[in-house]
Amino acid sequence: MTTDQIRGDEYQVEYDSGSSTVRFQGTVRLQTTDDYAPVNELLLRAHDAAAGGQLSLDFRQLQFLNSSGISMVSKFVIGARKRDQVRLTVLGNRDIYWQQKSLGNLQKLWPNVQIEIL
Amino acid sequence: MSTATETLGAWEDLAGAAALSHQRMDLDAAQLEQYWRRCSLSADFWSRYTALFVPGDAPRGRLSQNNLAHVLSYLLNELFENCAKFSDGPIRTVRYECVVRPDDLVFTLTNHIAPERQPGFARFVGELLSADLEALYIQRLEESVESGAGGSGLGYLTLMKDYGIRFGFGFAPAAEGSVAVTVQAHVQLEEH
Repeated sequence: MTTDQIRGDEYQVEYDSGSSTVRFQGTVRLQTTDDYAPVNELLLRAHDAAAGGQLSLDFRQLQFLNSSGISMVSKFVIGARKRDQVRLTVLGNRDIYWQQKSLGNLQKLWPNVQIEIL
Repeated sequence: MSTATETLGAWEDLAGAAALSHQRMDLDAAQLEQYWRRCSLSADFWSRYTALFVPGDAPRGRLSQNNLAHVLSYLLNELFENCAKFSDGPIRTVRYECVVRPDDLVFTLTNHIAPERQPGFARFVGELLSADLEALYIQRLEESVESGAGGSGLGYLTLMKDYGIRFGFGFAPAAEGSVAVTVQAHVQLEEH
């Protein structure tokens, strides 16, 4: 099992190869596309490692994500749809309001995405 | 508040409006951009401060205190970030105002841009106010994958379609050849 991790002042994003899961924690409100590049690259590495199997994006401990972050995740999902190499599951938390409201949008970008709001 | 000479969308003249509370704060756009986390900090402070006006266990169909704080934090962070990113010209003042009423909240953010930026922003607003929001949301993201650009307007689109927030926009001439751009966000306390 390997862990690939990015830490910021208020957030942490890690890929756990054992469970094939990228976990987001804290508040991610970065300023520019360049600031988001390391997170995007981690997602792409996780995608490549999971090719042929399943990949989970776990947002259950993510309090806030700004629209630049929503854009980055959405574009990752569109890219995964185009490559069609993983079964993608998105895990959300019903107690975090934005997740109830906005995580379902990812399924509109790729109907095969499975959304579980727990 | 600047006197808007041109308005679009859900615009309300709030001068002298009866309210439970008026809030106001002035910031500097250049400093918001330099110390980026101030956008998030300011949004979190005012969202939690304002959400205390509603009960923790709201009646069915009304936003609870916790959910309202979440909506407002996302909204205000987007608006402060926009002021930090898009202010232009000699005037860097950003004014935050809020009017709290029994059934709705109106947030007003004013920043300044150079006059040549106004037509492009007004076109963007016109598209936002007349579009099928779901279709435009998908279209913007698909286009941004092709072009490699950020998903432009995604903040407004999520706020409008996922939270039912209505926006008004005002443009007014300001000192030193600037244009004051005022964004009003109308948040209903009834759940969307």
